[in-house]
Amino acid sequence: MKFSFTSDQQQFAAGLREMLEREFTAAHLRQVWETGAGHDAALWSRLAEMGVLSMMLPEADGGMGGSFVDTILLIEELGRAAVPGPVIETMTVGALALAGTPWAAGVADGSVAVTAALMGERYVPHTAVAGVVLLSDHDSIRAIETSQLQLTEVEGIDHGRQLVTLAGTETAGVFVGSDRETATDAGSLAAAAYLLGLSSRMLAIAGDYARDRRQFGQPIGSFQAVKHLMADALLKVEFARPAVYRAAWSHATDSDTRARDVSMAKSLASDAAQKAARSALQVHGAIGYTWECDLQLFMKKAWALMPAWGSASYHRRRVSDAVLGPR
Amino acid sequence: MYLTPRQIRYAPMDLTETADEQAFRAEARAWLEANVPSAPLPSFDTAEGFELHRQWEAKLYEGRWSAVSWPVEYGGRGADYVKWLIFEEEYWRSGAPGRVSQNGIFLLGPTIIEVGTPEQKARFLPAMAKSDEIWAQAWSEPDAGSDMASIRSKAALSDDGSEWIINGQKIWASRAAWADWCFGIFRTDPESSRHKGLTFILMPLDTPGITVRPIAQLDGDTGFAEIFFDDVHVPIENTLGGVGNGWSVAMATAGFERGVSLRSPARFNVAVDRLIKLWIKIGDPDDDTMRDAVTDLWMQAEGYRLHTYMTVTKLLEGGHIGSESSLNKIFWSEMDVRAHELALQLLGPDAERIDGPHERWVDGFLFSLSGPLYAGTNEIQRNIIADRVLNLPRG
Ligand SMILES: Cc1cc2nc3c(=O)[nH]c(=O)nc-3n(C[C@H](O)[C@H](O)[C@H](O)COP(=O)(O)OP(=O)(O)OC[C@H]3O[C@@H](n4cnc5c(N)ncnc54)[C@H](O)[C@@H]3O)c2cc1C
Repeated sequence: MKFSFTSDQQQFAAGLREMLEREFTAAHLRQVWETGAGHDAALWSRLAEMGVLSMMLPEADGGMGGSFVDTILLIEELGRAAVPGPVIETMTVGALALAGTPWAAGVADGSVAVTAALMGERYVPHTAVAGVVLLSDHDSIRAIETSQLQLTEVEGIDHGRQLVTLAGTETAGVFVGSDRETATDAGSLAAAAYLLGLSSRMLAIAGDYARDRRQFGQPIGSFQAVKHLMADALLKVEFARPAVYRAAWSHATDSDTRARDVSMAKSLASDAAQKAARSALQVHGAIGYTWECDLQLFMKKAWALMPAWGSASYHRRRVSDAVLGPR
Repeated sequence: MYLTPRQIRYAPMDLTETADEQAFRAEARAWLEANVPSAPLPSFDTAEGFELHRQWEAKLYEGRWSAVSWPVEYGGRGADYVKWLIFEEEYWRSGAPGRVSQNGIFLLGPTIIEVGTPEQKARFLPAMAKSDEIWAQAWSEPDAGSDMASIRSKAALSDDGSEWIINGQKIWASRAAWADWCFGIFRTDPESSRHKGLTFILMPLDTPGITVRPIAQLDGDTGFAEIFFDDVHVPIENTLGGVGNGWSVAMATAGFERGVSLRSPARFNVAVDRLIKLWIKIGDPDDDTMRDAVTDLWMQAEGYRLHTYMTVTKLLEGGHIGSESSLNKIFWSEMDVRAHELALQLLGPDAERIDGPHERWVDGFLFSLSGPLYAGTNEIQRNIIADRVLNLPRG
């Protein structure tokens, strides 16, 4: 029994964090929002070059051949920086579904971004910047090049996650796999890890503000109501964390309890993100309620991801079916 | 920074048990199956129950299961943290009695192992492991609860320097009514205030000058007591961790209490398993609210178990836990209250009966309510998290 990451895994994640802190600050993210680009092409190449995007792609396809355990800390770091574009989709669902296909090389070198709508999504994120969309018919997965589809833009709250509705999906595409649940579990788990990173970032932003902002002659962080609000949010985040890491293990080892574990991870990480966002906003007072404040970039990503890859009720239901028996 | 695939692929996270761990689990399970009393013992907060629990502890000791994580020379098995968690899982699963020895074996014992002299280790640990001596902890005073640094009970050196002479009063000392010894901190420097000038002292509760007055708890049983000290003479050798170091020694002990050792996850996993059985037996299958609530609780208990495994791996790899242990304390105590509240909700009209047609929950419910209070209230834990984990400015 050993529930920790290797020093290689930790160092790679730490390196990614340093790179993102240096090269992808909140100001960069705001720029992506303002230009309407939906992602950051330079950052995308950088992530490809580092091997982040292809961590789960087999070596035969030019990937790193890593498992979900190798990948989970990286996704958390991407969440901490709120990296825009179809990053979790490409790294997990995309790498799993497109392994061995002609698109795989593009995933590895960063020329093909992948998005997915495998759970009956009404609005498909990131399609405008993705080369390939994964769609499902029952349990099978099809890959379609976005150029073959008609996209209609829909405005969402997170400008790092552009939404479209799709037309022309009926017949097009190539069959790439028949294990939809492994893919959707990968997406749900990736979203959970990303939410964990986002939550930590929101608490860090709130902590900085609470140390800095003064009222009644003292930093607001010295007020007990503020302290306890933040302590409770941290509690949720820190107890979601091991659930996310364990689900990565369950996915990597194809465990019998994978469905339960992934859904537990997504439920807890979504709850934690909701609490972290609410608390961070409250700590900021009115400034947190402005477009100017960077907190919004992270909160909106969290609000968008909480219902994505399976709603709270879907995941809770899956856990209760496993624990209490099916309804 | 750029790693080769081969370097990355090496993924030694392993959430399965080693052969050695499995064998340990099997051994513990077999022993417990053969030895756990078939009917529950009366509460250890009664005179009769206390003695029966003491006898059970002696039996545990004979099987060398009373202090599995202690070194072999003091009656333990030198089990690492993972094995200790495995033992706890088997222990609570088997329905074995609560640990009347807990103040000693889980709190004072590890403290003595850390800071005690060789003589103290030899004198106290074996008797503790056998439960020949059962311990009470005496920190709180009537005017020093959360604010423990304001304690006033004094210990003064005798003229020849061979003894402490203790005067004052402690309160809320669990199990002190029937325990044999107590440990606590006392003000040994009369000029001092707050965290300075305190000393950690051990003494038998039948020392002349000590009066123990039992206090009935919420359930009516004698769970804790007041201890009055009136010119109590204690040999200087009973000082633990050095004169004037009482606060830091006490913090080490409190760290064990809040952290992994006192409330291992297994207790809560077992309580939640019981809750799930109750739900399956009497829950309304169409009541989605209750179904979700029970599911949430299962996730919390499972989350706590996973969190603990992560923590012990960190310890095994040479890391240490500091103020994060306050997160654990809030988490387990609130989860325990919630589990019992839900069980009572499920029981409906039977909830208020002490002995109903179903398994008993109401006494567990009452006990769960003390979790957010003792071992430092949850408000105090939130203060600690805010100040030392989140680094917010002190108020
Ligand atoms: C079942 C049980 C067993 C116990 N066993 C022992 C034992 O074996 N040995 C022992 O020494 N003690 C024991 N205690 C005592 C326990 O440690 C104290 O009750 C606890 O430290 C709180 O002190 P108090 O009761 O004086 O409450 P107070 O300190 O008076 O607190 C009352 C309320 O005020 C809040 N409060 C106080 N200070 C602050 C602050 N700075 N910020 C925010 N809120 C604050 C508290 O959180 C609480 O809600 C036990 C208690 C219980 C209930």
